[in-house]
Amino acid sequence: MFKQTRSVRLLLHMANLLVIAFFLLPLAAVAIGSIQSEKTLQADTHAVFPSEVTFDNFTVILTQGEQKGRIFDQATYLPDNIKAFYRALFNSTVIAISVTALTLCFGSLSAYSIARHPSRWTVWLLQANVVARFVPAIALMIPLYVVIRSLGQLNSLVGVIVAETGFLLPYAILILAPYFDSIPKELEEAARIDGCSRFSAFIRIVLPLSTPGLAACGVIMFIISWHELLIPLILNARPEFMTLPTVIASLVGDVHVFFNLMMAICLLALLPTVILVALLQKYVVQGLAAGAVKG
Amino acid sequence: MAIIAADKPATRRRLSREVSGGVFAALMNVPTGLILALVLVYPVLYAGYLSVHRVGLGQLRSGVFPFIGLDNYARLFDDHLFWVALKNTFIFTGITVGAEIVLAVAIALLINQTSLWTSRATRLLILLPYAVPPIANGLIWSFMYSFQFGFLNRILFSLGWIDAPVNWAGNPDTALFAVTVPYVWRTLPFAILLVHAALQGIPRELYEASAVDGATAWDRFRHVTLPLLRPIIAVILILRTSFSFAVFEEILAITQGGPGDATWVAAWYSYKISFAPPNNFGMGSASAYVLALLIGLLAIGYVRLVYRRVTL
Repeated sequence: MFKQTRSVRLLLHMANLLVIAFFLLPLAAVAIGSIQSEKTLQADTHAVFPSEVTFDNFTVILTQGEQKGRIFDQATYLPDNIKAFYRALFNSTVIAISVTALTLCFGSLSAYSIARHPSRWTVWLLQANVVARFVPAIALMIPLYVVIRSLGQLNSLVGVIVAETGFLLPYAILILAPYFDSIPKELEEAARIDGCSRFSAFIRIVLPLSTPGLAACGVIMFIISWHELLIPLILNARPEFMTLPTVIASLVGDVHVFFNLMMAICLLALLPTVILVALLQKYVVQGLAAGAVKG
Repeated sequence: MAIIAADKPATRRRLSREVSGGVFAALMNVPTGLILALVLVYPVLYAGYLSVHRVGLGQLRSGVFPFIGLDNYARLFDDHLFWVALKNTFIFTGITVGAEIVLAVAIALLINQTSLWTSRATRLLILLPYAVPPIANGLIWSFMYSFQFGFLNRILFSLGWIDAPVNWAGNPDTALFAVTVPYVWRTLPFAILLVHAALQGIPRELYEASAVDGATAWDRFRHVTLPLLRPIIAVILILRTSFSFAVFEEILAITQGGPGDATWVAAWYSYKISFAPPNNFGMGSASAYVLALLIGLLAIGYVRLVYRRVTL
């Protein structure tokens, strides 16, 4: 917009490189940490890059400890949670997909009614959802734990799915309501004149037109439920119900697991959402902006 | 005649099946209402109930929670560690929110320079931290900060900037500051994105008019950009403050509250009191309630100040 002098441009380039370095630094750490052995990490504590590269960390995780590879030859102990990697991956996937489907389904019903039938109570409902977004997870987890424990329902995927759906639903409504509001009313009115009921006008006219908004909301729901730690950590303790974040959390303070293995499992856990964000950046941006303020 | 007669009942049937707008809206909210009542409203009320009862593992087994009035709150306010946790939470929140607002505005302006290829590159990478699970982020930074084997020290050694390893997260004086950096790293993209979106809404004409008036770049920022960014800065301020108040994963992964009590924060306090022996769920609920109350005040401010303008 404005002519920049050469030195200003140079300064801006430097600033950009600084920002990029800051954002990439931890990702470089996890990548470099995961491709070396405990031995190389300990041998030279001043070197950034390892003298020897190995993929044994991934091998041992992905074969559930059966193929130990060279660097774990002498290791007699491997945490059971690392051996349960596929189980955790499966649980995380089931939970994230179910939570995404449920929040989209319930959230779009509510958001549509808020967008199309403004009345005192729907405005109140929207504001209640804004407030609900602020409720800290820890305040919910203690009573949920007590309730679910007394019902004998600790350790189940269903419990986690229901809890996460409730926790994320207000956010989904806040993302979807402005989107439905932006779709012209005339299309539904035309359909209604042709004999469509209110509900089928919503299903057949509004939902298909809202695919971008639903995608934006869905990606964000998937990412947040993939990342959720506290809910599965507190509700599920048994290895067969663990998710990837709880497996990672269980390695904290385990003196037998060194950084190389930790970084490898972190890399495997962050890869799905990083790929998702990279591919669907447009939708993520759209959803985040819509959920924070009126779109 | 026959046609009209045949038509009428059909029309009536269709109309009688059709519900009014208000009833329709209410029906559409049944699933949401049920699940929010089950997972949000009931637990919040039940936490209040637990906070005035004695609830330990023994009580959970027997199913009888003796009423003890405000004892849990009294013990909470007597607990030195609770005040330390609260103080740490305020410091943590102050640093992270302050840093995020300044950085978000600066970086959003930077990536708005679309004529620079580095700005376009930054813009592509900006969302990456958002994709990293918080707990993985915590572990990655515990590797970054590790005293003996840490990645950060390796870099500084390689650059020749240090001669002895720095104990970033293990030193009580620096630990709280050390845990703010990973949190800012992970949550900054969201703030940048909102500021960047707001920048797109500022009309070009304003800048052109100010250029005609001979305004410098700083004048333009101070008198055009910043005033117009104020609403979005208010949004970020309130959202980020309330989420920073409840920080958990990075604390769990990097310091577990240590060294000593240097990084005990409010959510960590509630978690430890409840889920580490001796499992005092009553007192844990009381402390979580105090935290929720603090955040609740912010939430009401948010609805009043920012969301009020919503006219859906």
